[in-house]
Parts: sequence; C-alpha cells; structure tokens
Amino acid sequence: MTRFILRRTLYALVTLFILSLTIFTVIRMTGDPVTLLAEPGARTEDLDRIRADWGLDRPWPVQYLVFARNVFTGDLGTSFNYQMPVSSLYFQRLPKSLELAAAATLISVLLGIPAGLIAAVRVNSAWDNFGKVIALFGLAVPGFWLGLVLILVFSVWLRWLPTSGSGSWRHLIMPALALGWYFAASLLRLTRSSMLEVMRSEYIKLARLKGLPGYAVIAIHAFKNALIPVLTLAGINLVIMINAGVIIEVIFAWPGIGRLLYEGIFQRDFPLVQGIVMLAGVMIVVINLMIDMLYACIDPRIRLAR
Amino acid sequence: MAMVKRMTRRKVIQAAAVAAGGLIAGPFLRQAGAAAAVKPEGKMTLAWHTNIAPRWLDPGQHDGTATPDNFLNALHDGLIKNYKKELYDHLALADQFEFAEDATSATFRLRENVHFHDGSPVTPEDVKWSYENYRGAWAGVLKERTDRTVILDKRTVRMHFKSPFLDFPRLIGTSNVCGAGWVVPAKYFQKVGKDRFVQKPIGAGPYKLVSQEPGVRLDFEAFDGYYAPVHIKNFTILSVPEAATRLAMLDREEADIIYYITGDLVPKAMKDPKLMLAPVVSGNWWLEFPGFMDPKSPFHDKRVRQAISLAIDRDAMNQAECAGLGRVDGNWINDDVEYGMGWPKWPHDVARARKLMAEAGYPNGFTYDWLTPAPPYYSRGERIIADLQKIGIRGRMQSMERGVYNARRQAGLKAWPGTNIILVGARIGATWANWYESLFKCGGRLGADAICVKSLDEKFQKYSSSTKPAERKQLAEEIQREILENYYFVPVFRHAFMNGIGPRIAAKEWQDVFPTALTTGYAYPWEEIKLKSSL
Repeated sequence: MTRFILRRTLYALVTLFILSLTIFTVIRMTGDPVTLLAEPGARTEDLDRIRADWGLDRPWPVQYLVFARNVFTGDLGTSFNYQMPVSSLYFQRLPKSLELAAAATLISVLLGIPAGLIAAVRVNSAWDNFGKVIALFGLAVPGFWLGLVLILVFSVWLRWLPTSGSGSWRHLIMPALALGWYFAASLLRLTRSSMLEVMRSEYIKLARLKGLPGYAVIAIHAFKNALIPVLTLAGINLVIMINAGVIIEVIFAWPGIGRLLYEGIFQRDFPLVQGIVMLAGVMIVVINLMIDMLYACIDPRIRLAR
Repeated sequence: MAMVKRMTRRKVIQAAAVAAGGLIAGPFLRQAGAAAAVKPEGKMTLAWHTNIAPRWLDPGQHDGTATPDNFLNALHDGLIKNYKKELYDHLALADQFEFAEDATSATFRLRENVHFHDGSPVTPEDVKWSYENYRGAWAGVLKERTDRTVILDKRTVRMHFKSPFLDFPRLIGTSNVCGAGWVVPAKYFQKVGKDRFVQKPIGAGPYKLVSQEPGVRLDFEAFDGYYAPVHIKNFTILSVPEAATRLAMLDREEADIIYYITGDLVPKAMKDPKLMLAPVVSGNWWLEFPGFMDPKSPFHDKRVRQAISLAIDRDAMNQAECAGLGRVDGNWINDDVEYGMGWPKWPHDVARARKLMAEAGYPNGFTYDWLTPAPPYYSRGERIIADLQKIGIRGRMQSMERGVYNARRQAGLKAWPGTNIILVGARIGATWANWYESLFKCGGRLGADAICVKSLDEKFQKYSSSTKPAERKQLAEEIQREILENYYFVPVFRHAFMNGIGPRIAAKEWQDVFPTALTTGYAYPWEEIKLKSSL
C-alpha cells in the first residue's frame, strides 16, 4: 500500500510539473506583457525597468525556476490588471465558486442519478427514452443559451428570481441550474450504463435467485456498486465546476473563479491565468490522488493490479 | 491680444473677473459659486459593461481613453473639468483659474474648505504632487512642456511652461483625456503606494468608496463634504459583461442605468415603455491601415483606400448596430471639439470601388491577414469584412480584449505583423489636436509608428507652436482635409452608444442623465442625478 501511494504521489507531482511547464510556456508565447504592465505614459526606459523588476528580462528557464519556487512558497505573483496578489484574488472568489459548484453538483446529482436509475431499471421503456432525450438535451444545449432562457423566463417574465449577481439563495438558483444541467445529463448517462452493467452481473442474478424483492436487489446490491464510478465523476465534476464555470459566471455576473479566469485571459494577465490554472490543476490532481487511494483502500485488487 | 479675445469670447468667461498685472495679464479667469444643501437619499445602481479595472480609480494612471472618466467623475474631482456644455473649463476644485495671455503659465486657486473623503484638506501640495506624479497617457507631453510647478500660497498653484502651451487647459480639463488635473491626497498615496491606493482610493469627488470587490463591484456613499449637492445616498457600480443580462436588470429595476445595449437588443429596449433609451451619439469609427506608408503594402495605393471607402455600406452599419440612431457623417474626428470639421457623407458605390481596385492592379482583389475591431464591437468588424469581400478584399477577423488591443495599438507596427486593417472607435474631448496627437501623429500614443505622414506632422508642429487662432484654425482644417482626401483614415460612422435608464431615475428626457456627448458618453454628473422618490 505504501509503495502504491508513493507511486501515485510521484505521478501526481510529474503531472503538476508538466502542467506548470505547459502553462508557463504557452502564456509567454502570447507576446510581451510589458506593454500591459506599463502605464500609458511610460517611456522605453520605464519599460526596461518594468521588465527588470518583474524578471522578464531573464532567460525563460530562470523565469520558470523563479515561478516554480514562488508557487511552492504560495506566491502566485501579482495580477497586472488588479494590482494585487493572485492568491488574494483567488481566495476572495473561491467561496463564491464553491457555493455555485456545490449547488450545481447538488442539482446534477438530484436530477441525474435518480433519472439514470429509473432509466436503467425500466430499460427500453418510455421512462428510459425520456431519460435519453433529457440526457441528449442536457449535453447538447449550451450553458449560455440555457442561462439566457432562464433569465428571460424566471426573471423577466415571471419575476421570481433576480437576474444576476450573488448574495442570497435566490441568486444561486438559475446559475446553479444552468451549470448543473450539463453535468446532470452526464451523470444520468453514467448511472444508467453503470446500473445496467451491474444488473447483468452474477451476484445480482444470485440475489434474485435467492428470492430477494426487486427493490432490495436494486437498492442494496446493484445501486451501491453502480454508484462508485458515478460518485467519482460527481467529485471530478465538482472540481471542474469550481474552476471552469466561465460562461455561466459571465452570463449571471457571478463573481467566481471562472469569471476571474476569463478576465485574466482577455487582459493577458498572465500571473492571474498561471495562478488560476495551476491551482485548478493542483485541485484536480489532488482529488484524483485521493480517489485512487480510496479505491485502493476499498478494493485491494486495484493496488495489487497496478 | 488676439489670444485674450479668443479665450474670453466664451460665454462662460464673460462673467469672470479679470486678473491684473504681473506675468498673468488675466485674459482667462473664472470663479466659482457656492452650493445649496441637499440631503442625499436612496440607492442607485449602474450596470457597467466590462469588468472594472482598479487602475481606473487612480487618475494618475489615466490611459487617455474615455473609460476611466466614468469612475473619476464619481470618486475624484479635477481642478477644472468638462461639464455639460463646458468642454473643459468648468470650475471644480479650483474656484479660480487663470491662463496667462502668453500661454506660458496656468494658475489654479483652490476653493476654500475642500476636503478629501478622509477629512484631510485638499492643498496646493496635493495639486502639485498629483500633477507631477501623473503617469498616464499624456505624461510625456506634460513633462516635456512643463518647466516647473510653483505653490504660490495656501490655496494657489501655478504651472509654468517652457513655451506657449495653448492646449493645456483643454488637456488638463478633459476627464476622458487626461488625469493630471484630478487631485489625489499626496500623503495618503505615498503612504499606501500605487497598488494599495487603487484598492482603497481616496478622492475629493461627490462619492466616497465604501467597499470594492475587485473587478466586480464598487459601493459608494455620498460624500457630505462635497462642495456641491449630492442627491443619491448610495451608489453601486456592478460589472455585468452580458448585454442581455444588463437589459433584464434594467427591466426588473435591479439596475437604474445600464451602458451599452447591443444592436440586437435595441428594438426590445425601445418597446419597453418603462425604459428610456439613451442613444448618445458619441464616438467616431474609422478604418486604419497600419504601415500603409510602405510601398509594399496594398494599402499604399490611394485608390485601394478609396475603393474601401466606397465599398462600405455605412447606412446599413448604422441601422444594424445602432438602430439607425448614429450619424453617418464624414470626418473621423468629432465635429463638436475645437476645430473639428464637418465633412459630407461618403458615397457607397461598389461598382466604382471595383473599378478603382482594377486600376490599382488588383482586379481580383487581395488577401489581408487580419481585421481587428475595437473591442467589444466585433459585429462591426464582421460587417466591414463582408463589405470588403464584395470588392475582393478578403481577410479574417481577430478579436481581442480591450486591454490587449490598447497595448498593441501603443506598441506600433511591430504589434501588427502582416497586412492589417484596424476598425478604430474613439471619443476624445476638447480639441481636434487631442485626436491628431494621439492617433495620427507619428510617435503619438496610439498611432505610434503605424501611421507616419511627415508633411502633416510638420504642419501639426506649426499648429502647436502657433499662438494665432486664425492660423491654428487654418492649419487644423488643412490637416484634417488632407487626411480625408487621401483616405489615410477611412471614416465609417459615428455611433450611438446605446444606454438605458430605468423607471426609478428622475428624468424627463435621456439628456437629463446623459447631458451631452460633447464631454462624455457616460451618465454624469453623478451628484446631480436624482431618484423619483426623492422629488
């Protein structure tokens, strides 16, 4: 088990190293950021001074080492646009993104898992077909369109909910629904396929042969086992929603990390983009590492097989 | 004495006293009156159309574009400023402004008992420090031309210039051009530093900042120490990037004023009887061809540039983008600034454009690399691309964020490799010279080295050093005429910046909130905007 954990941790570190190198390189390929850093009246000597102050006059490998060292010490740099530390900005916006992602995850789980379960239990029935249509609709409809439709219906026509912003549970409903909708569809599909696979397994047949009632077979034996990949996906979805709710956050003027990333990209604020992508990467890698470890604890075959 | 006449002919100056003796003979002197007391009440929300950059809260970083003045007008105050029909010389923090007859000095006397939001007095030291530490778009020009700044007494500051500087009042008094005359508390700024100042700025404007969510929200409260009455107690600016969301907010009264209603949403806004549409005929739009001076550039040939002008369907652009509420006139410089010229409407003639292309050696057209529209007006870029395709000029559109776009414009030709067309939009106040200096002059702030016409720059130099109004006017018009007749820039249209006013705001007509496009396209003066409930 220790060797397994060490190996997995090493993989995670390598992934983070590659991620950091990729972000660092790609962002610098977009051009010289000094013109963005400089004030409008800056002269050539001012630009040179800024370049030196920010270490942008050094070779790229040196810049990378400084960047990596700073990341390890928790210093993600200072945003060009906001003129404040990236970590402060990130942690100011994080609670809002967590709030939105948690609500969207709840919606996706509450919609996706029961619908997937019903579709699997009533396979090839009208319920199943309805589930398939919902899944297709959820995956096909762009979040920004759904968001605008929700605003039109619930804010403008019915006047039930505020159009945008944050601050109360009423502000949360529409963005959470628009963000969670896509993920509900993916959970529905995975729950359905996972349930169908489990329902065809030998131990379910045995449970039926033993004369257990149908609901007990489904609830106790099938659903519990089918739920493992579904919850894994829900966990990863949560991390994605925290960091990548870009369009939804823009539509609903939700002050989260996705919108911060969007602003950073468009302003070529590369300390900000670097910082957000790095932290998102760390979050995803750590969650995956934890899931791997949990799997290994639950199922010894996994750690023996790898 | 011609200088005195020109300066004193303005109606607003007629009532002013004339200073006597010394270096300042007093050709230009203004004095301010006192304000009546009003108890501010209620809350107003503005839905802003992009993100909110904290640097806009520091006049010292004014980037020379129209954007920061929306924020400056709430939080800070200038010595003199643009105000309704007064282009640049409305007395604000200064209660007296004298501009020397020989244009070599400007003297400002501060109002008595003016304070910053922290209660500290606005002093001549603050004025001097703000002026000398201004780092914005016009810093180079001001540093180059200012000899020294002298504090004369407890209320008075004088700037001395190295040579006559006739455009100084227009430059320093136009909030959408320059922030050097907008006063910040020097001691506080030096104590907290530039980065901290933009997080917790202190000004002397009608509203003090209570809280800030960087990029997202600004909450202001009426400043009870302001010298003029402030009518609304709480003022919030929210960043709402999506146009449809902003319009929905206005409809639901979550916002009281919104900026930039996109062309596709204008009909919906017009149908809503509760809302008031404010089509502020504002910035001009034109095409630029960076590096057209190079004989290898297809745009070097005047006939190509003329063909482009003929190919553009300006009426269709105006209709689609501004519901026909913009203006399709001819000059790229607004005609409401000093020496800004009117120009007849350009013809739309695709057949003649094709003929000119053939004569220029491009019977089948050519391909350029990019057309870049000023952000976020990308649909306008697409319309130009479609118009140019009709005469065989083919290319793709590149979109970029406003900060990136401005930075590239400042970087000059090296930031525009290949063959490029830029669809530029601008609204610059006060004088035509501000347009020329920043956009056309070789080495100018935005023109950089992308546009260089030596003969016109020489004329502009002559204009700048001239103190004779008739000569200046003649030179200004000559330069503008040459630019237009040679299609160095191809004007497209003057757009209507479509804004919305909600039902809670007390306004009989939209001009009550957006008083004029002469000085700013945004709502202002914030202190004068009232709620119906407070009437």
